[in-house]
Amino acid sequence: MATQHSRAAARFMIAPSVIVLLLWMAVPLALTLYFSFLRYNLLMPGENPFVGWENYSYFLTDPAFQTAIVNTLILVLGVLFITVLGGIGLAVLLDQPMWGTGIVRIMVISPFFVMPTVSALVWKNMFMNPVNGLFAFLAGTFGMAPFDFLTQAPLASIVGIVSWQWLPFATLILLTAMQSLDSEQLEAAEMDGASAWSRFWYIKLPHLARAITVVVLIQTIFLLSIFAEILVTTNGGPGTASTNLTYLVYAESLLRFDVGTGSAGGVVAIILANIVAIFLMRMIGKNLDA
Amino acid sequence: MGNITLEKVQKKFGETEVIPPLDLAIEDGEFVVFVGPSGCGKSTLLRLIAGLEDVSSGEIRIDGKPATDLPPAKRGLAMVFQSYALYPHMSVRKNIAFPLKMAGLNAEEQNKRVERAAAVLNLTDYLDRRPGQLSGGQRQRVAIGRSIVREPAAFLFDEPLSNLDAALRVGMRLEITELHERLKTTMIYVTHDQVEAMTMADKIVVLRAGHVEQVGSPLELYRNPRNLFVAGFIGSPKMNLMTGEHAARHDCTTIGVRPEHMRIVEEGGTFTGRIIVSEHLGSDTFFHVEIPGMDEPMTVRADGEIGLRHGDTIHLEPEARQIHRFDEKGLRLA
Repeated sequence: MATQHSRAAARFMIAPSVIVLLLWMAVPLALTLYFSFLRYNLLMPGENPFVGWENYSYFLTDPAFQTAIVNTLILVLGVLFITVLGGIGLAVLLDQPMWGTGIVRIMVISPFFVMPTVSALVWKNMFMNPVNGLFAFLAGTFGMAPFDFLTQAPLASIVGIVSWQWLPFATLILLTAMQSLDSEQLEAAEMDGASAWSRFWYIKLPHLARAITVVVLIQTIFLLSIFAEILVTTNGGPGTASTNLTYLVYAESLLRFDVGTGSAGGVVAIILANIVAIFLMRMIGKNLDA
Repeated sequence: MGNITLEKVQKKFGETEVIPPLDLAIEDGEFVVFVGPSGCGKSTLLRLIAGLEDVSSGEIRIDGKPATDLPPAKRGLAMVFQSYALYPHMSVRKNIAFPLKMAGLNAEEQNKRVERAAAVLNLTDYLDRRPGQLSGGQRQRVAIGRSIVREPAAFLFDEPLSNLDAALRVGMRLEITELHERLKTTMIYVTHDQVEAMTMADKIVVLRAGHVEQVGSPLELYRNPRNLFVAGFIGSPKMNLMTGEHAARHDCTTIGVRPEHMRIVEEGGTFTGRIIVSEHLGSDTFFHVEIPGMDEPMTVRADGEIGLRHGDTIHLEPEARQIHRFDEKGLRLA
């Protein structure tokens, strides 16, 4: 019964969490905005004068900025491409009845439980290391020169590591979607003369469309802010070859101690992320309505 | 064109035998109804014929040709599922055209056949809608449309009306019967509703626990049920079954009298009891009568305008020629 009184009481009751949430978001955002207009470098203590858009113009004209944008896009799109395709494939396979389904499913999902720093370290030292790594060993057994992944193809290597982490997530969502498909629809398609491939293409894949958009949306949000994997493996290098926007902001404020430019970069990142989010929501909102 | 023969067909799931070896012949153009209580194996039998389940042993022949090992698509049968199994992301037109597309027909021919099927089923106005925008009865018709465009040797219906409300069910029942009259194609129809079986079938197959209890025309089954199970299953309300001294008087273990074959008499009569429930349907009245010495109340059909009511005493006399007699194994005695 939503009387005037109970509504007031409800507002009063949820006020603490709303206030905490607001402070949590608003204070850092306001401070970031504030710092982004100051000349504020930790290596040059003293005055922090107001400089207008200077930090923004430095950040946006930095050659590293363009590289970072391109790298961010490659990272996000590359990982999305691999995880969605791989996730669909694995979901189709895991949907088949087979022996030991339970164990196999848990094994498939387990990479998701490994924290990013740890998995990046494992990949860097145990697989991709040109001296001690498993890949180097394999190359050696075939008489080939070991490939130094993180130096020669740093961004592709990071795409690989991150894909490995996110593949279980995509698989999990797509597998549950696959299992919600009415088996009578598949039987009807079978009676209608559809081959296994046609059943996948005309029945299963359209059924998965919604789940695929969910995977794309959620992963994009997280992939825009990939950081730990880069920090642990390549430190954004060589040069800026594997620097994405998040890492560039980190480099400005915590490697060059330029809080002002770092903050300006943060604000730029927020704006870009919101533009992406708006487009995604539009696109996906349409798909979810249908 | 559409005769289907089952020879010693058996189905096991692991160790459990769902359908013991079974023989059945379905003639071309027949409307055959598999009827039985839930879990009697009627749907499994249909799926065996469709090819959606593999037979454990035995042989299925369609059109005289062995079909036991053919995949479903190669058997030339079409099936209408209980849930309709329409493809939700395709328009009605694409749903109906799907089997044609899979068969590799060109777009023009597909369109022609879809239009024809839509005209037969009154779906022309709905061709561009999605299944989600249709009512239950319309979805049912789309499912039928999808099966008739293939011009199959036989149609298989798996409880197609059980998701519809009562009024629609009667309407669709007529439509399916009409469709059969028009197409003259073999139809196999699975249901647990004996009213559907009685009204639609040329031939009813009564199943219990995978066994065929009796095969025959609706009236044959009504007049001469082969055993107690068929007697109790066919006819609504159920036949009254009596044992003990009442049966002994007719030299058998059990006698059965249908509610419509009980006459209400002024005095005397074989049975006398008290009305515990009376159901007035307008055209008819059904009385449930408690009779001393009998476990279950007896059901009696009477005229709709009869003056008796709850609590009244009633005298009953079965029509002598309509008494069914069964032996101790439950089989009918001539």
